[in-house]
Amino acid sequence: MTLCPYCEATLETPLACTSCGNVLDLAGDVTPFALFGRNPAWEVDRKELKRALLRLSRHVHPDFHATAEDEVRQRAERASAALNEAYEVLSDDFARADWLVRAQGGPTDAEERQMPEAFLIQVLDWNETLEEARSAAAGSPEANAALELGVQLAAEREARFAALTELLTPLPEAGAATLTDARRELNVVRYIDRTRAELESVRLGAALRDRA
Amino acid sequence: MGYIELNVLNNAESPLAMGIDLGTTNSLAATLKDGRPVVIKPEGGSGSIPSVIHLADDGAVVVGRKALDQATVDPRHTIFSIKRLMGRGLADVGDDLASFPFPIQEDENGLLMIDVHGKEFTPQELSSMILMRVHDVACRVMGGEEIGRAVITVPAYFDDTQRQATRDAARLAGIDVMRIINEPTAASLAYGLDQRSGGNVAVYDLGGGTFDISILSIEEGVFHVQSTNGDTHLGGDDFDRALASLILETVSEQVDGAELGDPALQQAARLAAEKCKVELTQHPEAELHLILPDSGINVRRNVTREEFEALVEPLVARTLDSCRAALSDASLEAGDVDEVVLVGGSTRMPVIRAAVEDFFGRLPHTELNPDEVVALGAAIQAHILAGGSRDLLLMDVTPLSLGLETVGGGVSKIIARNSTIPCQATEGFTTYADNQTGIDFNILQGERELAQDCRSLGKFKLSGIPPMPAGLARVAVRFHVDADGLLTVSAREESTGVKASIEVKPKHGLTDGQVEQMLEDSLVNARADFEAGRNAGLVTELGTMVRASEKTLPDVEAHLDPEQLADIREALAAAKAAIDATERDGKELQGIRDRLEHATMPLAALLMDNVAKTALSGKNLRDV
Repeated sequence: MTLCPYCEATLETPLACTSCGNVLDLAGDVTPFALFGRNPAWEVDRKELKRALLRLSRHVHPDFHATAEDEVRQRAERASAALNEAYEVLSDDFARADWLVRAQGGPTDAEERQMPEAFLIQVLDWNETLEEARSAAAGSPEANAALELGVQLAAEREARFAALTELLTPLPEAGAATLTDARRELNVVRYIDRTRAELESVRLGAALRDRA
Repeated sequence: MGYIELNVLNNAESPLAMGIDLGTTNSLAATLKDGRPVVIKPEGGSGSIPSVIHLADDGAVVVGRKALDQATVDPRHTIFSIKRLMGRGLADVGDDLASFPFPIQEDENGLLMIDVHGKEFTPQELSSMILMRVHDVACRVMGGEEIGRAVITVPAYFDDTQRQATRDAARLAGIDVMRIINEPTAASLAYGLDQRSGGNVAVYDLGGGTFDISILSIEEGVFHVQSTNGDTHLGGDDFDRALASLILETVSEQVDGAELGDPALQQAARLAAEKCKVELTQHPEAELHLILPDSGINVRRNVTREEFEALVEPLVARTLDSCRAALSDASLEAGDVDEVVLVGGSTRMPVIRAAVEDFFGRLPHTELNPDEVVALGAAIQAHILAGGSRDLLLMDVTPLSLGLETVGGGVSKIIARNSTIPCQATEGFTTYADNQTGIDFNILQGERELAQDCRSLGKFKLSGIPPMPAGLARVAVRFHVDADGLLTVSAREESTGVKASIEVKPKHGLTDGQVEQMLEDSLVNARADFEAGRNAGLVTELGTMVRASEKTLPDVEAHLDPEQLADIREALAAAKAAIDATERDGKELQGIRDRLEHATMPLAALLMDNVAKTALSGKNLRDV
């Protein structure tokens, strides 16, 4: 563990010293996990992470350094932005899995575009349901099918993350084949999320039509 | 004579900063006093200043109540709702143009130029006149001390351009902007001050011209905004307009089309509608009464609350759509919200209260004055930024996604909407042609899929990339949104280190040079006009004080010690001399006024004493 250059206390985060309150200069590339003083891992306690964000923000947020000299204020801006960026990665299952796969040297979404094969048929099915719902009136069988699809997608998404939990705990070694499997699962999640967004816009569109 | 209340203020610890709510219809300032935020109110006033400007032919500028009085008398010179034009272009303000009494054009950078009889003003300059007025009044109430620093609020759903415009307006007004904060977030601070229990809070803010909904979580003194949504073109004005169209319909049976477009008629209809709307808040039925003696128009029409509510239903529905979107972005259901807070004068309408209660399934908070709560929250934030407190921390979000235009006219999102600020993100780009030495970037804000449907915040070019095959250059583009919600973008080619960066100086915005120039010329005049106005006000006040003191002095003279009496006489003489003087200096006048106030304090105290005694002995006060 590194020590604070000001008071030599053990640092909890490279962003600031929680003992003497100094905001520190970030040198080089620091991982989002390191910013929160932890090792890369799939499992994250969301509540505990949020508490850590609030506690660390109290040290680095620019509001509490507004009367300091320019250089300190700039440092607080950067530290706070880095902390928030890291939180986005750690708190979001997709972003965290994506980061871990890349960090372990696994394929990016551009390098590995496949989904697990069993999935492709399902995708065709879903697309059809969505297409039919587009012009359907509220309460019609097509619209109801779309509502059902929403429920199905949510369940499927959860199942994919269960699979990802299996694949990523413990964290695979660098370059392991399981990383490619994890990427394929992530491709499915991305597809599901896109479909859910489409579904939502179809639903909103129908609501607006009803109103007009 | 002296105001006893003011003496208390004079002795109080002088505040370091104020919060200013720069509203579409009204503006006001607040500050922290004894650990509580208070609206800065002049003696007998509400502290609220109408965001109305009257620009006379001779160049005289009047802001506030007096400008509002001019609205029907001289509508061609009176400006309302300037906030709606902030950071906008002609294409954005279509509907508003019709109700605007001055011709508006766009300069080559898309900046709006309002032509007031041959002299051009930007929305920023006009807003700065309101800010100056609010600031001046506040400083005067606070005892004449110059409080230069302020937190200024904007609708949460303001985009980067509108925030920049607000910041520039404050700069033009000579105010040091500590922070631009979001109105609903500020309101939550004012409400949350006494609520340490935490939980999810929804702030529903329907102002004069804008609507915001923000969802926050409060935990251990940290106010963390989860999501925000809204409409910068939906407010009480629109409810007025709906009612105004009712009465104009009736009027159209009497006058021809040309007359119907008359600004005076439009203005009168708007004011009549507003009055009727306010009455409908109290009563189930109200009268729309449009009277315009010059045109011989005198029309009455009854409106029931049901009729009004049916008329505005689409507007209410739009606010609820935003609520749904905000909840969805926060991954919450309406039932997960623990508290609902109403902000903005328009939330007094029963139709709004009922709709909000129904939507969230709980009674909304209305304890604080919805017109004041934003300024109160801004004052708390100003106090925190001045280093006065570390009890509370605000963590706000950026309301709209930020990104870059891609080759096919699409959008690559770099910072998602509702990201906590300050925030940053980096995205990699490459060249798409062999030996391409430059890349153009178009910075976009908005949620739409196509670049043409998003707002362009500015363009910049990274040049000097060494010739290489397509796809080999590695360009990292970095977005940083600061705590004010303002964006900076920089780009760098990784293999060579070639850099380009811009501080986003958006379309429809002022350049630094323009701001400097404006500060130099036009506003110096405006400042002088304001000073003349302020001096005139001080002289009137001096006159009242002198008359009141001279009237009561003989009655209580005997009870004053000689030193006090001499003080009063001297201060009175100085005041009279100042009233008669032809050359006036603001500071000196303020000093003379303060001295008279101070000297007459014992006089005021004695008189109060007398009144009390008389009252106790059962005499009629008029006999004193």
